[in-house]
Amino acid sequence: MAKPTQLKEEGNRRFQAGDYVMAEALYSQALISDPHNPTLYTNRAMARLRLSQWDSAVADGTACLQLAPDSMKAHYSLSQAHLALRAHDDALRHALRAHALCVAGGAAEHKSLGPITTHVLRCKRERWEEVERRRVRELGGLEGEVLGLLERGREEAVREAEREGLEEGGVGLGEEGRREVEEEWRGKVEAMKAVFEKARPEGERRREVPDWAVDDISFCVMVDPVITKTGKSYERASIVEHLRRQPSDPLTREPLYPSELRPNLDLKQACEEFLEQNGWAADW
Amino acid sequence: MTVPFAAKRLGKELQKISNSLPPGVELVSAENFEEWLLDIKVLDNNPIYQNQTYRLKFRFGPSYPIEPPEVVFVQLPDRPIPMHPHVYSNGIICLDLLGQQGWSPVQNVESVCMSLQSMLTGNSKDERPPGDEDFVRANRQRPKDIQFYYHDNNV
Repeated sequence: MAKPTQLKEEGNRRFQAGDYVMAEALYSQALISDPHNPTLYTNRAMARLRLSQWDSAVADGTACLQLAPDSMKAHYSLSQAHLALRAHDDALRHALRAHALCVAGGAAEHKSLGPITTHVLRCKRERWEEVERRRVRELGGLEGEVLGLLERGREEAVREAEREGLEEGGVGLGEEGRREVEEEWRGKVEAMKAVFEKARPEGERRREVPDWAVDDISFCVMVDPVITKTGKSYERASIVEHLRRQPSDPLTREPLYPSELRPNLDLKQACEEFLEQNGWAADW
Repeated sequence: MTVPFAAKRLGKELQKISNSLPPGVELVSAENFEEWLLDIKVLDNNPIYQNQTYRLKFRFGPSYPIEPPEVVFVQLPDRPIPMHPHVYSNGIICLDLLGQQGWSPVQNVESVCMSLQSMLTGNSKDERPPGDEDFVRANRQRPKDIQFYYHDNNV
Protein backbone atom coordinates (compact mmCIF):
# COMPACT_ATOMS: atom_id res chain seq x y z
CA MET A 1 0.00 0.00 0.00
CA ALA A 2 1.24 3.49 -0.85
CA LYS A 3 2.52 5.78 1.87
CA PRO A 4 0.24 8.51 3.22
CA THR A 5 2.58 11.25 1.93
CA GLN A 6 2.46 9.80 -1.57
CA LEU A 7 -1.31 9.53 -1.41
CA LYS A 8 -1.51 13.13 -0.24
CA GLU A 9 0.74 14.40 -2.99
CA GLU A 10 -1.23 12.49 -5.62
CA GLY A 11 -4.39 13.93 -4.05
CA ASN A 12 -2.98 17.45 -4.34
CA ARG A 13 -2.17 16.83 -8.00
CA ARG A 14 -5.70 15.60 -8.65
CA PHE A 15 -7.08 18.62 -6.79
CA GLN A 16 -5.02 21.01 -8.91
CA ALA A 17 -6.27 19.24 -12.02
CA GLY A 18 -9.87 19.72 -10.88
CA ASP A 19 -10.55 16.03 -10.17
CA TYR A 20 -12.05 16.56 -6.73
CA VAL A 21 -13.68 13.13 -6.50
CA MET A 22 -10.34 11.36 -6.92
CA ALA A 23 -8.56 13.88 -4.66
CA GLU A 24 -11.13 13.26 -1.92
CA ALA A 25 -10.69 9.50 -2.22
CA LEU A 26 -6.89 9.75 -2.05
CA TYR A 27 -6.98 11.97 1.07
CA SER A 28 -9.39 9.47 2.64
CA GLN A 29 -6.98 6.62 1.94
CA ALA A 30 -4.10 8.61 3.40
CA LEU A 31 -6.16 9.30 6.54
CA ILE A 32 -6.61 5.57 7.18
CA SER A 33 -2.93 5.14 7.97
CA ASP A 34 -2.30 8.71 9.16
CA PRO A 35 -5.45 9.75 11.06
CA HIS A 36 -3.77 12.49 13.12
CA ASN A 37 -2.52 14.63 10.26
CA PRO A 38 -4.42 17.98 10.32
CA THR A 39 -3.38 18.92 6.76
CA LEU A 40 -5.06 15.83 5.37
CA TYR A 41 -8.33 16.96 6.95
CA THR A 42 -8.15 20.51 5.59
CA ASN A 43 -7.20 19.24 2.15
CA ARG A 44 -10.09 16.81 2.13
CA ALA A 45 -12.38 19.57 3.43
CA MET A 46 -11.41 21.73 0.47
CA ALA A 47 -12.08 18.89 -1.96
CA ARG A 48 -15.44 18.28 -0.30
CA LEU A 49 -16.31 21.98 -0.54
CA ARG A 50 -15.73 21.78 -4.28
CA LEU A 51 -18.01 18.74 -4.39
CA SER A 52 -20.72 20.59 -2.40
CA GLN A 53 -20.50 17.99 0.38
CA TRP A 54 -21.06 20.58 3.08
CA ASP A 55 -21.72 18.32 6.06
CA SER A 56 -18.63 16.21 5.37
CA ALA A 57 -16.56 19.38 4.96
CA VAL A 58 -17.78 20.54 8.38
CA ALA A 59 -16.76 17.18 9.85
CA ASP A 60 -13.25 17.49 8.37
CA GLY A 61 -12.82 21.07 9.53
CA THR A 62 -13.92 20.10 13.03
CA ALA A 63 -11.59 17.09 13.06
CA CYS A 64 -8.69 19.30 12.02
CA LEU A 65 -9.42 21.86 14.76
CA GLN A 66 -9.24 19.11 17.36
CA LEU A 67 -5.69 18.39 16.21
CA ALA A 68 -4.69 21.96 15.35
CA PRO A 69 -6.99 24.57 16.93
CA ASP A 70 -5.27 27.45 15.12
CA SER A 71 -5.51 26.13 11.58
CA MET A 72 -6.50 29.04 9.38
CA LYS A 73 -7.51 26.72 6.55
CA ALA A 74 -9.76 24.68 8.85
CA HIS A 75 -11.59 27.81 10.02
CA TYR A 76 -11.86 29.06 6.45
CA SER A 77 -13.26 25.72 5.20
CA LEU A 78 -15.69 25.53 8.11
CA SER A 79 -16.87 29.04 7.39
CA GLN A 80 -17.48 28.28 3.72
CA ALA A 81 -19.37 25.08 4.55
CA HIS A 82 -21.49 26.74 7.22
CA LEU A 83 -22.30 29.57 4.85
CA ALA A 84 -23.54 27.09 2.26
CA LEU A 85 -25.61 25.40 4.97
CA ARG A 86 -27.02 28.81 5.92
CA ALA A 87 -25.62 28.58 9.46
CA HIS A 88 -24.74 32.25 9.31
CA ASP A 89 -23.52 32.81 12.85
CA ASP A 90 -21.10 29.88 12.64
CA ALA A 91 -19.97 30.99 9.20
CA LEU A 92 -19.13 34.48 10.43
CA ARG A 93 -17.46 33.23 13.62
CA HIS A 94 -15.09 30.97 11.69
CA ALA A 95 -14.50 33.61 9.01
CA LEU A 96 -13.40 36.15 11.62
CA ARG A 97 -11.18 33.57 13.31
CA ALA A 98 -9.58 32.71 9.95
CA HIS A 99 -9.03 36.41 9.30
CA ALA A 100 -7.36 36.92 12.70
CA LEU A 101 -5.08 33.92 12.12
CA CYS A 102 -4.27 35.21 8.67
CA VAL A 103 -3.20 38.61 10.06
CA ALA A 104 -1.15 36.99 12.83
CA GLY A 105 0.44 34.43 10.49
CA GLY A 106 3.42 34.52 8.19
CA ALA A 107 3.83 35.13 4.48
CA ALA A 108 1.96 31.95 3.51
CA GLU A 109 -1.11 33.02 5.46
CA HIS A 110 -0.90 36.62 4.21
CA LYS A 111 -1.57 35.44 0.69
CA SER A 112 -5.08 34.52 1.79
CA LEU A 113 -5.82 37.92 3.32
CA GLY A 114 -7.61 39.24 0.25
CA PRO A 115 -9.95 36.27 -0.33
CA ILE A 116 -10.69 35.91 3.38
CA THR A 117 -11.54 39.60 3.75
CA THR A 118 -13.94 39.28 0.81
CA HIS A 119 -15.37 36.14 2.40
CA VAL A 120 -15.95 37.91 5.76
CA LEU A 121 -17.98 40.57 3.94
CA ARG A 122 -20.00 37.87 2.19
CA CYS A 123 -20.76 36.16 5.51
CA LYS A 124 -21.89 39.46 6.99
CA ARG A 125 -24.08 40.23 4.04
CA GLU A 126 -25.76 36.81 3.90
CA ARG A 127 -26.33 36.82 7.65
CA TRP A 128 -27.92 40.24 7.46
CA GLU A 129 -30.09 39.21 4.51
CA GLU A 130 -31.37 36.22 6.44
CA VAL A 131 -32.32 38.39 9.43
CA GLU A 132 -33.82 40.95 7.10
CA ARG A 133 -35.92 38.39 5.25
CA ARG A 134 -37.26 37.11 8.54
CA ARG A 135 -38.01 40.62 9.78
CA VAL A 136 -39.80 41.62 6.58
CA ARG A 137 -41.78 38.38 6.64
CA GLU A 138 -42.79 38.82 10.26
CA LEU A 139 -43.62 42.48 9.92
CA GLY A 140 -45.46 41.80 6.67
CA GLY A 141 -47.43 39.04 8.44
CA LEU A 142 -48.33 41.34 11.30
CA GLU A 143 -49.29 44.11 8.92
CA GLY A 144 -51.59 41.74 7.02
CA GLU A 145 -53.20 40.48 10.22
CA VAL A 146 -53.86 43.93 11.64
CA LEU A 147 -55.27 45.20 8.37
CA GLY A 148 -57.44 42.05 8.16
CA LEU A 149 -58.83 42.74 11.64
CA LEU A 150 -59.62 46.31 10.69
CA GLU A 151 -61.33 45.07 7.55
CA ARG A 152 -63.52 42.73 9.55
CA GLY A 153 -64.31 45.55 11.99
CA ARG A 154 -65.37 47.72 9.10
CA GLU A 155 -67.71 45.07 7.69
CA GLU A 156 -69.30 44.56 11.08
CA ALA A 157 -69.75 48.29 11.63
CA VAL A 158 -71.37 48.63 8.22
CA ARG A 159 -73.79 45.80 8.97
CA GLU A 160 -74.57 47.44 12.30
CA ALA A 161 -75.32 50.76 10.64
CA GLU A 162 -77.55 49.06 8.07
CA ARG A 163 -79.51 47.31 10.81
CA GLU A 164 -79.99 50.58 12.74
CA GLY A 165 -81.12 52.27 9.54
CA LEU A 166 -83.72 49.57 8.96
CA GLU A 167 -85.00 49.78 12.54
CA GLU A 168 -85.51 53.52 12.19
CA GLY A 169 -87.36 52.79 8.99
CA GLY A 170 -85.85 55.50 6.80
CA VAL A 171 -83.91 54.02 3.88
CA GLY A 172 -82.11 57.34 3.09
CA LEU A 173 -80.84 57.68 6.63
CA GLY A 174 -79.49 54.10 6.56
CA GLU A 175 -77.55 54.82 3.36
CA GLU A 176 -76.03 57.97 4.82
CA GLY A 177 -75.12 56.28 8.08
CA ARG A 178 -73.43 53.50 6.16
CA ARG A 179 -71.32 55.95 4.18
CA GLU A 180 -70.30 57.74 7.36
CA VAL A 181 -69.20 54.50 8.99
CA GLU A 182 -67.29 53.48 5.90
CA GLU A 183 -65.47 56.82 5.83
CA GLU A 184 -64.49 56.42 9.43
CA TRP A 185 -63.06 52.94 8.93
CA ARG A 186 -61.24 53.84 5.79
CA GLY A 187 -59.49 56.52 7.83
CA LYS A 188 -58.51 53.94 10.43
CA VAL A 189 -57.02 51.62 7.79
CA GLU A 190 -55.06 54.48 6.23
CA ALA A 191 -53.72 55.54 9.62
CA MET A 192 -52.61 51.98 10.37
CA LYS A 193 -50.86 51.66 7.01
CA ALA A 194 -49.02 54.91 7.69
CA VAL A 195 -47.84 53.57 11.04
CA PHE A 196 -46.37 50.48 9.37
CA GLU A 197 -44.77 52.63 6.71
CA LYS A 198 -43.02 54.68 9.40
CA ALA A 199 -41.84 51.55 11.15
CA ARG A 200 -39.88 50.41 8.11
CA PRO A 201 -36.20 50.98 8.79
CA GLU A 202 -34.25 53.77 7.11
CA GLY A 203 -32.31 51.21 5.11
CA GLU A 204 -35.30 50.14 3.07
CA ARG A 205 -35.81 53.66 1.88
CA ARG A 206 -32.37 55.15 1.44
CA ARG A 207 -29.17 53.20 0.87
CA GLU A 208 -25.99 55.17 1.28
CA VAL A 209 -22.62 54.16 2.65
CA PRO A 210 -20.85 56.87 4.64
CA ASP A 211 -17.37 57.71 3.31
CA TRP A 212 -15.70 56.96 6.61
CA ALA A 213 -16.69 53.30 6.34
CA VAL A 214 -15.31 52.84 2.82
CA ASP A 215 -11.75 51.78 2.00
CA ASP A 216 -10.35 54.14 -0.64
CA ILE A 217 -8.52 51.32 -2.42
CA SER A 218 -11.10 48.54 -2.75
CA PHE A 219 -14.16 50.83 -2.31
CA CYS A 220 -15.61 48.22 0.10
CA VAL A 221 -16.80 48.69 3.66
CA MET A 222 -13.83 48.01 5.93
CA VAL A 223 -13.58 44.78 7.91
CA ASP A 224 -10.17 45.34 9.48
CA PRO A 225 -9.17 49.00 9.08
CA VAL A 226 -5.54 49.88 9.73
CA ILE A 227 -4.22 53.40 10.11
CA THR A 228 -1.06 54.89 8.57
CA LYS A 229 1.31 57.51 9.93
CA THR A 230 -0.64 60.19 8.13
CA GLY A 231 -3.82 59.26 9.99
CA LYS A 232 -5.67 57.76 7.05
CA SER A 233 -7.23 54.31 7.40
CA TYR A 234 -7.46 51.53 4.81
CA GLU A 235 -8.65 47.94 4.67
CA ARG A 236 -5.72 45.81 5.77
CA ALA A 237 -5.91 43.48 2.76
CA SER A 238 -5.87 46.43 0.29
CA ILE A 239 -3.05 48.46 1.79
CA VAL A 240 -0.90 45.36 2.30
CA GLU A 241 -1.40 44.50 -1.37
CA HIS A 242 -0.31 48.01 -2.33
CA LEU A 243 2.70 47.98 0.02
CA ARG A 244 3.82 44.66 -1.42
CA ARG A 245 4.22 46.44 -4.74
CA GLN A 246 5.42 49.77 -3.44
CA PRO A 247 6.30 50.57 0.17
CA SER A 248 4.91 54.11 0.19
CA ASP A 249 1.95 55.93 1.69
CA PRO A 250 -0.79 56.16 -0.97
CA LEU A 251 -1.50 59.78 -0.12
CA THR A 252 1.88 61.31 0.67
CA ARG A 253 4.21 58.83 -1.12
CA GLU A 254 6.41 58.79 1.97
CA PRO A 255 8.03 55.45 2.79
CA LEU A 256 5.60 53.14 4.57
CA TYR A 257 6.10 49.54 5.66
CA PRO A 258 3.51 46.96 6.69
CA SER A 259 5.04 46.85 10.18
CA GLU A 260 4.09 50.51 10.64
CA LEU A 261 0.36 49.89 10.16
CA ARG A 262 -1.74 49.95 13.30
CA PRO A 263 -5.25 48.57 13.74
CA ASN A 264 -7.89 51.27 14.02
CA LEU A 265 -10.12 49.63 16.60
CA ASP A 266 -12.71 52.38 17.00
CA LEU A 267 -13.26 52.62 13.26
CA LYS A 268 -13.45 48.83 13.09
CA GLN A 269 -16.22 48.85 15.65
CA ALA A 270 -18.03 51.68 13.89
CA CYS A 271 -17.89 49.74 10.60
CA GLU A 272 -19.17 46.62 12.36
CA GLU A 273 -22.08 48.54 13.83
CA PHE A 274 -22.86 50.12 10.50
CA LEU A 275 -22.93 46.69 8.86
CA GLU A 276 -25.16 45.29 11.61
CA GLN A 277 -27.75 47.87 10.60
CA ASN A 278 -26.98 47.94 6.89
CA GLY A 279 -25.88 44.46 5.95
CA TRP A 280 -26.72 45.12 2.30
CA ALA A 281 -23.63 47.33 2.20
CA ALA A 282 -21.31 44.45 3.07
CA ASP A 283 -21.08 43.17 -0.45
CA TRP A 284 -22.42 46.02 -2.49
CA MET B 1 -1.04 39.20 -10.02
CA THR B 2 -4.77 39.60 -9.58
CA VAL B 3 -6.50 41.45 -6.79
CA PRO B 4 -9.83 40.05 -5.60
CA PHE B 5 -11.56 43.42 -5.67
CA ALA B 6 -10.58 44.75 -9.12
CA ALA B 7 -13.94 44.16 -10.84
CA LYS B 8 -15.91 45.26 -7.81
CA ARG B 9 -14.04 48.48 -7.48
CA LEU B 10 -14.49 49.27 -11.19
CA GLY B 11 -18.18 48.48 -10.82
CA LYS B 12 -18.47 51.03 -8.05
CA GLU B 13 -16.45 53.62 -9.93
CA LEU B 14 -18.73 53.14 -12.92
CA GLN B 15 -21.83 53.48 -10.76
CA LYS B 16 -20.48 56.72 -9.36
CA ILE B 17 -19.36 58.30 -12.62
CA SER B 18 -22.56 57.27 -14.40
CA ASN B 19 -24.40 59.45 -11.92
CA SER B 20 -22.10 62.42 -11.75
CA LEU B 21 -18.85 63.61 -13.25
CA PRO B 22 -17.00 66.90 -12.81
CA PRO B 23 -17.56 69.57 -15.46
CA GLY B 24 -15.73 68.94 -18.73
CA VAL B 25 -15.53 65.17 -18.21
CA GLU B 26 -17.93 62.80 -19.95
CA LEU B 27 -18.26 59.04 -20.03
CA VAL B 28 -18.42 57.77 -23.61
CA SER B 29 -18.51 54.02 -23.11
CA ALA B 30 -17.77 51.42 -20.45
CA GLU B 31 -19.00 48.09 -21.75
CA ASN B 32 -16.67 45.98 -19.65
CA PHE B 33 -14.04 46.22 -16.95
CA GLU B 34 -11.16 46.23 -19.41
CA GLU B 35 -11.57 49.37 -21.46
CA TRP B 36 -13.42 52.64 -20.92
CA LEU B 37 -13.62 55.72 -23.09
CA LEU B 38 -14.05 59.23 -21.73
CA ASP B 39 -14.08 62.70 -23.25
CA ILE B 40 -12.44 65.66 -21.57
CA LYS B 41 -12.52 69.37 -22.28
CA VAL B 42 -10.40 72.20 -20.94
CA LEU B 43 -12.75 74.63 -19.30
CA ASP B 44 -10.79 77.87 -19.03
CA ASN B 45 -9.73 80.16 -21.86
CA ASN B 46 -6.40 78.55 -22.64
CA PRO B 47 -6.17 79.35 -26.39
CA ILE B 48 -4.35 76.07 -27.20
CA TYR B 49 -7.36 73.96 -26.22
CA GLN B 50 -10.34 76.20 -26.94
CA ASN B 51 -13.45 74.52 -28.35
CA GLN B 52 -11.77 71.12 -28.46
CA THR B 53 -12.79 67.79 -27.01
CA TYR B 54 -10.26 65.02 -26.40
CA ARG B 55 -10.92 61.30 -26.23
CA LEU B 56 -9.22 59.25 -23.51
CA LYS B 57 -8.89 55.47 -23.49
CA PHE B 58 -8.46 53.71 -20.13
CA ARG B 59 -7.32 50.10 -20.05
CA PHE B 60 -7.47 48.22 -16.75
CA GLY B 61 -5.45 45.16 -15.83
CA PRO B 62 -6.53 42.46 -13.37
CA SER B 63 -4.62 44.16 -10.58
CA TYR B 64 -6.18 47.59 -10.87
CA PRO B 65 -6.12 49.75 -8.70
CA ILE B 66 -2.92 48.36 -7.23
CA GLU B 67 -1.39 48.78 -10.68
CA PRO B 68 -2.14 51.95 -12.69
CA PRO B 69 -4.52 51.87 -15.65
CA GLU B 70 -3.07 52.52 -19.09
CA VAL B 71 -4.34 55.90 -20.26
CA VAL B 72 -3.82 57.36 -23.74
CA PHE B 73 -5.42 59.98 -25.95
CA VAL B 74 -7.14 58.54 -29.02
CA GLN B 75 -7.31 60.32 -32.37
CA LEU B 76 -10.62 60.53 -34.23
CA PRO B 77 -11.87 62.91 -36.95
CA ASP B 78 -13.38 65.19 -34.32
CA ARG B 79 -11.02 64.28 -31.48
CA PRO B 80 -7.45 65.53 -31.97
CA ILE B 81 -4.45 64.73 -29.77
CA PRO B 82 -3.88 67.78 -27.56
CA MET B 83 -0.65 69.73 -28.00
CA HIS B 84 1.44 69.45 -24.86
CA PRO B 85 5.16 68.94 -24.10
CA HIS B 86 4.22 65.69 -22.30
CA VAL B 87 1.81 64.29 -24.88
CA TYR B 88 3.27 62.50 -27.91
CA SER B 89 1.47 62.80 -31.21
CA ASN B 90 0.40 59.12 -31.01
CA GLY B 91 -1.56 59.90 -27.84
CA ILE B 92 0.91 58.50 -25.30
CA ILE B 93 0.97 60.60 -22.16
CA CYS B 94 4.04 61.14 -20.04
CA LEU B 95 2.56 61.89 -16.63
CA ASP B 96 4.14 60.91 -13.33
CA LEU B 97 0.73 59.95 -11.92
CA LEU B 98 0.25 57.24 -14.55
CA GLY B 99 3.71 55.70 -14.15
CA GLN B 100 4.68 52.79 -11.95
CA GLN B 101 6.26 55.13 -9.42
CA GLY B 102 3.75 57.95 -9.36
CA TRP B 103 0.57 55.88 -9.28
CA SER B 104 -1.33 55.44 -6.05
CA PRO B 105 -4.31 53.11 -5.55
CA VAL B 106 -6.37 55.95 -4.09
CA GLN B 107 -6.39 57.52 -7.54
CA ASN B 108 -9.34 56.66 -9.77
CA VAL B 109 -10.71 57.27 -13.25
CA GLU B 110 -12.30 60.54 -12.23
CA SER B 111 -9.18 61.88 -10.50
CA VAL B 112 -7.00 60.90 -13.49
CA CYS B 113 -9.32 62.81 -15.84
CA MET B 114 -9.14 65.84 -13.60
CA SER B 115 -5.35 65.65 -13.39
CA LEU B 116 -5.15 65.54 -17.18
CA GLN B 117 -7.53 68.50 -17.44
CA SER B 118 -5.35 70.50 -15.12
CA MET B 119 -2.18 69.37 -16.89
CA LEU B 120 -3.59 70.89 -20.09
CA THR B 121 -5.03 73.96 -18.38
CA GLY B 122 -1.70 74.89 -16.87
CA ASN B 123 0.24 74.53 -20.11
CA SER B 124 1.29 77.48 -22.24
CA LYS B 125 3.59 75.72 -24.75
CA ASP B 126 1.95 74.78 -28.02
CA GLU B 127 4.43 71.99 -28.74
CA ARG B 128 5.18 68.26 -28.63
CA PRO B 129 7.76 66.57 -26.41
CA PRO B 130 11.35 66.73 -27.67
CA GLY B 131 12.05 63.81 -30.02
CA ASP B 132 8.36 63.24 -30.72
CA GLU B 133 8.83 62.09 -34.31
CA ASP B 134 11.49 59.53 -33.44
CA PHE B 135 9.54 58.29 -30.46
CA VAL B 136 6.32 57.85 -32.40
CA ARG B 137 8.12 56.05 -35.23
CA ALA B 138 10.19 53.76 -33.04
CA ASN B 139 7.99 52.98 -30.07
CA ARG B 140 6.56 49.46 -29.89
CA GLN B 141 6.23 49.37 -26.11
CA ARG B 142 3.08 49.60 -24.08
CA PRO B 143 2.86 52.98 -22.36
CA LYS B 144 3.33 51.49 -18.90
CA ASP B 145 6.60 49.84 -19.88
CA ILE B 146 8.16 53.04 -21.19
CA GLN B 147 10.71 54.58 -18.87
CA PHE B 148 9.86 58.25 -19.21
CA TYR B 149 12.39 60.77 -18.16
CA TYR B 150 10.39 63.25 -16.13
CA HIS B 151 12.60 66.05 -17.29
CA ASP B 152 10.33 68.90 -16.38
CA ASN B 153 7.61 68.25 -13.84
CA ASN B 154 6.62 71.90 -13.82
CA VAL B 155 5.05 71.79 -17.25
